[in-house]
Amino acid sequence: MQNAVMATLKVEKHYRMGEQVLKALKGVSVGIGQGDFVAVMGPSGSGKSTFMNMLGCLDSPSSGQILLKGTDVTRMSAAELATVRNRHIGFVFQQFNLLPRTTALDNVMLPLLYTAMPRAQARERARHCLELVGLGKRLDHHPSQLSGGQQQRVAIARALVNEPDIILADEPTGALDTETGLEIMALFQQLHQQGKTLVLVTHEPDIAAFASRQLVFRDGLLLTDRQSSPLDAQQALADFRQHRLAEALK
Amino acid sequence: MNSLMLLNVAWVALRVNLLRSILTMLGIIIGVAAVIIMLALGSGARYEVDQQIKNLGGNVFIVFSRMRFMGGAQQGGTGQSLTEMDALAIENQIPQVTVAAPMVQSSGQVIYGNLNWAPSILGVDNKIYQAQSWSLAEGRTFTETELSSAGRVAVIGQTVKRELFGASDPLGQTVRINKVPVTIIGVLNGKGQNTQGNDQDDIVFMPIDTVRKRISGITLSSPKAVRSIVVQVASDRDMPLVEQELDALLRQRLRTTANDPPFRIRNLSEMVETRAQTMQIFNGLLAAVASVSLLVGGIGIMNIMLVSVTERTREIGLRMAVGARPADILRQFLIEAVLLCALGGALGLTLALGTTWAVEHFLGYTAIIEPQVVLMSIGFSALIGVFFGYYPARKASRLQPIEALRYE
Repeated sequence: MQNAVMATLKVEKHYRMGEQVLKALKGVSVGIGQGDFVAVMGPSGSGKSTFMNMLGCLDSPSSGQILLKGTDVTRMSAAELATVRNRHIGFVFQQFNLLPRTTALDNVMLPLLYTAMPRAQARERARHCLELVGLGKRLDHHPSQLSGGQQQRVAIARALVNEPDIILADEPTGALDTETGLEIMALFQQLHQQGKTLVLVTHEPDIAAFASRQLVFRDGLLLTDRQSSPLDAQQALADFRQHRLAEALK
Repeated sequence: MNSLMLLNVAWVALRVNLLRSILTMLGIIIGVAAVIIMLALGSGARYEVDQQIKNLGGNVFIVFSRMRFMGGAQQGGTGQSLTEMDALAIENQIPQVTVAAPMVQSSGQVIYGNLNWAPSILGVDNKIYQAQSWSLAEGRTFTETELSSAGRVAVIGQTVKRELFGASDPLGQTVRINKVPVTIIGVLNGKGQNTQGNDQDDIVFMPIDTVRKRISGITLSSPKAVRSIVVQVASDRDMPLVEQELDALLRQRLRTTANDPPFRIRNLSEMVETRAQTMQIFNGLLAAVASVSLLVGGIGIMNIMLVSVTERTREIGLRMAVGARPADILRQFLIEAVLLCALGGALGLTLALGTTWAVEHFLGYTAIIEPQVVLMSIGFSALIGVFFGYYPARKASRLQPIEALRYE
């Protein structure tokens, strides 16, 4: 827990719903180690999304602590939290959340615009990240000119561009078909092999199987925390294509 | 994020909703244009007034004769109290007076060939040129003989020349004024309209005795009676002093101590000024109405910015997630509102330039757009952007990132 990139300590989150108090998280303590690839699972209402928001410094807990590389971020102001997110966290969303009518390159540059980095350097960095996710030839395309999978790759490039300590992906394959979803998971595994720390929320066990550690939430509590040897997404993708080809030939 | 980038982001956002941006700007465009046009017309009128005062000579009194009553009965004739001798006395006894020109006035038909025209017919001597800043376009002034013997000669104004002679040369031609044949010996340079809209060039100058004896046909109280005396003062600083001295001198000469003496001293530039001030108040009111339109335009901006913030809630959420601080979001939307207003101001200025040009060329008004008005109106519209853009921008900056991201 001491060497964790991010850790939660007895984190609770209460929401007031009229008379009632809804306890979304009832004391969760977990550490995300450097280089982990964690899948967060659980049915809806289990608290997994709230947990992700806590890790992403998008929301603050009712009690407990969130430590980012040992620093407590729970008492920080909105502006300080913005800076923490900018420097240390990369986000990937289910709906990609790219700016429309803005090129892929400019979308990827967006986090860097909120730093002091010179524009030319930011552009170079963004180009490099887009090449990394296989979109080196799509720099000037607008989101509307890209497929869902390509849009998600742009979003992943955007999450990588500020070289974050941890990348949080919220149902990144949720809006994609199976094949494209597998491609995205292969990309995540590739990033994991390069040493990135990844946390992804999913309700699909098939997707969670590509991670090396699974956290299962239920009723605001961490139910299971297990390590497993991950499936190879590249292999799964090849199998899927073979299978589809076989189906087509039949 | 630096200001240039923010400006670019704002520009892109405005261009995406081009029609909406233009419609929103319309309020500001109309408001700014209206304010500039009103102020331009005001400055133009001011300029005209100044010109006219310059034409009149800013340092001129006109002393008018009034009916003279004695023992309850009106003295004979037209009852004009002032005479040419009063004019001479004014000129000789008040040192600050440079010239005092006597004047009688009549009216009549001026007939040339089959054309006729009815200008003001003024009996004057040659002092009138200096006293009222007239100059000759062609010809000559009256000779001593013509003045002393009621010569049948006349100097005409530009309007009279145009109406009776058109392009041909009036010099030496004979016209009939109230059946008296009169030779044209000179033409005045034009002065145009005065602020009351009267044509100052619609006049005929004749020797003062000619008008008295041959044209007006009215028995006068005195053979040397005049209707008015135009008094020019050396410097406008002496105007109050000369007014007092005029009053004292004429009271003494006319032997009157009445509260209501049989003459009236008028300061022409003061009369013009008074009119100009009324006009300026009117213009000020119109400008105030125009500012209300600016205010309404500002409210329109606020409305659209609120819509824009709501529409772009997810974008705001995303920007916050990737590191935009509340202050960054505030600035982004503030700059957008300011840009909207400043563009509106610039377009309004263009519209105002076009309109004042049209007003000058087609309606003949003088309109002057002063540079500080231009700067002020653009600055003011940007200020409206800040004022009315602040609330929506603050609303955007206070959004919670997770809620903004989840917004549908």
